[in-house]
Amino acid sequence: MPLLEIDDIQGIILFGYGRLRSACYLLLQIAEPVASRAWLKTAEFSSAHFDPNTTDRAVNIAFTPAGLSRLGLNDAVMADFAGEFLQGMTGTSHRQRTLGDVGDSSPDGWSWGGPRNPEPHVLLMLFGRDDTVLAAVVQDLEAALPRAGLSLIARLDTSWLPKQREHFGFRDGVSRTDIDGFHTDARPENSIAPGEFILGYLNAYGQYTQRPLVAPEGDPQGLLAAAPDDPNRRDLGMNGSYLVFRQLRQHVGAFWKYVDEQAKRIPGIVDPNATVRLASKMIGRWPSGTPLVVAPTVDDPARCDENEFFYYRSDDPHGLKCPIGAHIRRANPRDALDPEPGSDRSIDVGKRHRVLRRGRTYGPAVAESMEVPDILAAADTGGDRGLHFICFNTQIGRQFEFIQHTWLNNPKFDGLYEDDDPLVGDRGGSHGKPGGTFTVQAEPVRTRVTGMPRFTRVRGGGYFFMPGIRAVRFLGSLGSR
Amino acid sequence: MPYQEALTIVAPIRPGEVDAVKRVLGTIPDHIDAWDVIPFDRLPRLHFARLVVFDEATDLDGQTIAAQLALMTNVDAPLDAHLNDLAGTAGAGLDTVFGGCAGYPDESHRTPAERLRFLQRYTHDAAAFYVNRQWRSVDQIRNEETLRREIGTFLDSADFSHHSADALRKAIRDFVGGRADLRWALEPAEPPGLGWRIRNLLHLIEHVGIALLLLPPAILLAPILLALLRSHERADVPDTSAAPAESIDRLRADEDFWVHNQVVAAGAFKPGLFRQVVTTVILRTTDFACRHIYNRGSLSGLNTIHFARWVAMDEGRRMFFSSNYDGSLESYMNDFIDKAAWGLNAIFSNGDGFPRTSFLFCGGIRDEKAYKRFLPTRQVQSRVWYSAYPYLTTKNVANNAAIRAGLSGQMNADETRTWLRRFGLGNQLPASGLVARILDSVPWDRLCRFSK
Repeated sequence: MPLLEIDDIQGIILFGYGRLRSACYLLLQIAEPVASRAWLKTAEFSSAHFDPNTTDRAVNIAFTPAGLSRLGLNDAVMADFAGEFLQGMTGTSHRQRTLGDVGDSSPDGWSWGGPRNPEPHVLLMLFGRDDTVLAAVVQDLEAALPRAGLSLIARLDTSWLPKQREHFGFRDGVSRTDIDGFHTDARPENSIAPGEFILGYLNAYGQYTQRPLVAPEGDPQGLLAAAPDDPNRRDLGMNGSYLVFRQLRQHVGAFWKYVDEQAKRIPGIVDPNATVRLASKMIGRWPSGTPLVVAPTVDDPARCDENEFFYYRSDDPHGLKCPIGAHIRRANPRDALDPEPGSDRSIDVGKRHRVLRRGRTYGPAVAESMEVPDILAAADTGGDRGLHFICFNTQIGRQFEFIQHTWLNNPKFDGLYEDDDPLVGDRGGSHGKPGGTFTVQAEPVRTRVTGMPRFTRVRGGGYFFMPGIRAVRFLGSLGSR
Repeated sequence: MPYQEALTIVAPIRPGEVDAVKRVLGTIPDHIDAWDVIPFDRLPRLHFARLVVFDEATDLDGQTIAAQLALMTNVDAPLDAHLNDLAGTAGAGLDTVFGGCAGYPDESHRTPAERLRFLQRYTHDAAAFYVNRQWRSVDQIRNEETLRREIGTFLDSADFSHHSADALRKAIRDFVGGRADLRWALEPAEPPGLGWRIRNLLHLIEHVGIALLLLPPAILLAPILLALLRSHERADVPDTSAAPAESIDRLRADEDFWVHNQVVAAGAFKPGLFRQVVTTVILRTTDFACRHIYNRGSLSGLNTIHFARWVAMDEGRRMFFSSNYDGSLESYMNDFIDKAAWGLNAIFSNGDGFPRTSFLFCGGIRDEKAYKRFLPTRQVQSRVWYSAYPYLTTKNVANNAAIRAGLSGQMNADETRTWLRRFGLGNQLPASGLVARILDSVPWDRLCRFSK
C-alpha cells in the first residue's frame, strides 16, 4: 500500500479541520485567466500535512469544468474527467430526477449553481481558528481577488453549533470513514481503499479510476507526477478528488411539528419521550449521538461516540432497534444488505459506496442549547438554516449518486415499500403515492407514520474537482508554453 | 394459475421506413404515463412489454444487417391467447407499429389471421429465459398488493401492541375474511399444475441425462478444451472504445421514472466453431439453471430481476439480452460485478468485444472500468416500455405472496412472529435451492486469483 502523498493532497479531503471552527466558502468566476493562472502558481493552499496544534487557518480550492476550461485546459484532457463532473449536478433531467432535485428543490429555484445563477468556476474554502482569524483570511483573499483575476459570485457562511449538533438537534459527524494505510487505528470493516476518495491510488476494485492524464509535452515544466498506471504520462488527477456540494436547507420547525403530532397519534407509544423517541428512530441515533443499536430503548449519552456497531452482527437484522429506514442505516448500511447480510462479503460490497463527509452547518440555531425540548419550544421563524453538505469521492455515480438514489431516496430500500429517507428523502413518490412513509419495525407488528412532508430542500449545489497541489500549479502554468 | 412465457417478435423494417417507425414509437419519456398506440394496459395477462428498434448494423464479416423492429412481452400462459390478443384487440396498433416492416400484411389484408401469421413468422424463441418466480400471474401480483395495502390500513387503525402474535394473526384473518373483496386470500395460491410439473421434470431428466452423457468425454478432453479456451481468450480483442456521451445521455433519459428499469444489449457472437460450441452449451446451461436451479427469486445472487431473456438473432450472428429489473442501471451493473460476475462472464464473454475473461468465469465483468465502459457501447434503446406493476419490486412481490400464504394453514409461534414482520419489512426471500446455494458459495474471488 503506497503511503498517501499528504504534502500534495489538499487538507480538507483528509481532515474536517475540527479545530478551525470558523469557515466560509467563496464561489468565484475567472474574469481574467492570465491573472488567475499567475495567482494559482504562487498562492498558498493547505495540504493535509499540517500540525493541528499550531495551524490556525486553511485555504483549499476546487474547480468546475467551466473553470478548468477557462484556465485553458484543452478539451481532449477535459474529456477524461468523470462524466458526472463534466455534465454537472444539474446537467440532465435524469440526474435531477435521481438526486431528488425536483419540485421545490429544482435547480431553477436554487440560490447558486442552478441554470438561472451565474456559473461558478472556482470554489475557495476558507477556515480559521475563530471568527477573527477567518475574517483576516477572508480579508487577505478579497484583497487578492482583483489581482487574481477572480470575481466573487457568492459567499456562503457556516455556523458552528454547540455539542457537535446539526440543526434538527442531533449530534452529527460521529461516523468516520477511514482510509487504508492512512488511519492506522481503523477497524478493517470500516477502512476503505484510498482510491475511492483520492485519484491516483487503487480503489475498492483494485483499479485506478479513470482521470485525466497529460502527455509529457503537455507538461513541459514537469510539474505533474508520473501516472502510476501509465508512467509515460503525467497525472493531472493524482491526489485530487471530486467534491460534491449541496446546500440543504433544513425545515426544523416542520420536522419537529410533524414528529410531535405523529408521536402523539401512534398507538402504543404514549409517554412524554415519544416525540424524541420517534425522531431518534428516524435518525438511528439519539440526540446525544448514541446509536439505537447500542441503546435501543433509552438514550445513553455516555456512548455518544460509539461507532463500532453493525446491524446483523449487532443483533438487529429486522430493524427492531434501529429501523430499516432510519437515516444512518440507509446512508451506511454496514453489514445489512445483500449479499448475505452479516457477512464479510456484504461489508465489502458496502465499501464500494462510501464518501468522505466534510460539510458544515450554516445559519443560526433555533435554540442555543441545541437540546430537543428547547428546539420544540422555540418558534422556528423560518429562517434559512441547514447543512452545507460536502463530500469527496472518485466515482460520483457509484458513490455519492448511488447513496443518494439507491439508498436515501429509494422507497424500496432493503425490502421496504414506500419509505424514503425520513430526513433527507425527496418524497419522489416512485412507489405510486405522494408523501413519505416511515415504518418502525416492532413486535408484534410494525407501526408507521405516513404523509410525511419533505424536511430538507436543496438550495444550491455543484460538482467540483479538487486537484492535488502540484496539479494546481500545473493549472497555473497552462498559458506559458 | 398459469406459468409465464416470453414472446419475442423481430421483424426487418423496410428500407426507408426506419425513421417513420421511430416516429410512431417515440421514446419512453414521451409517453411515460400511457401509450395509446398499442393499449398494453388493456391486454390481459401481460406483465411487461417493450418495443425496440435495432438499427442497421454490420456483422463481423462486414455484411449489412437491415434495421429491425422487436416486440418483447412477458405474459401468463397460454401464449396463443396472447398472440390472438395482439392480432385482435391490439390489431390496429399493431398495424401502425409494424406496418413499416417487410412481410406485414397489406392494408387490404389486415385481418387478425393475417397478423397472427406475421407474428408467428417472426417469432424468435429465447435461447434462455429467466423468470423471478414461475407461476405467479399478473392478476395474483396485483391482487396480493391490494391485499397488503388493505391489511396495512387495518393495522394502522388500532393499537395492536398488546396483542399476542397469535391473536394478531387471527385478527388479520378475521379482517380479511370479513371483506368480500379480499376473502379469496384466505385460500392459498394455486400451486403449479400437474402437467407443468411433469413437463418440468421431464425437462430436468432430459438435460441431466445429456449432461451425464457429455461429461465423460468432456473430462477426457478437459486439458485440450481448457487449452483451446485459454488460447481463444488470449486472442480475444476487447473493445475498449467508449460510447459517445450523447448516446449515454439518451439512454439515461429513459431511466428511473419508476422503481423498474429496462435494459437491452445486443452484440455479435465471437466467430469460430469453438466459440459457437461454448456459446450453445452455456446458453443451454443458463436456460436450464434459470428453470431448475435459480427459480426462487435469485439469479446467482441477483434478486432484482423480474424477467430476462437471451435471444439469438440474424441467423445466429448476433444475440440480444433484455431484462426488467429494480433500481438504477448503476446499481444493476454493480450487482453484476459484485454478486454474479462468474455466471455473467460465462454467458457474455461469448459476445464480441467483451472485457477479457480468463477460464471463462474470471476477469471480464470484474474489471469495473472496462465493463462500465463496454456496456453502453452495446446497449439498445427501448422506445416503448410497459410494466403492469411499475411500483413493485421483486422483493415486494415475493413478500406479498408470503403475506397471502400466511393467511391460511397452521403456524407455530416463531412462524407467526416472522410472518407478522412482513407487514413492516419485506427483505426475507425464500431460501434458494441446494444447488443454487452451493454455486453461490463458491469463493470466486479467491479462485480467480489463480487464474491470471
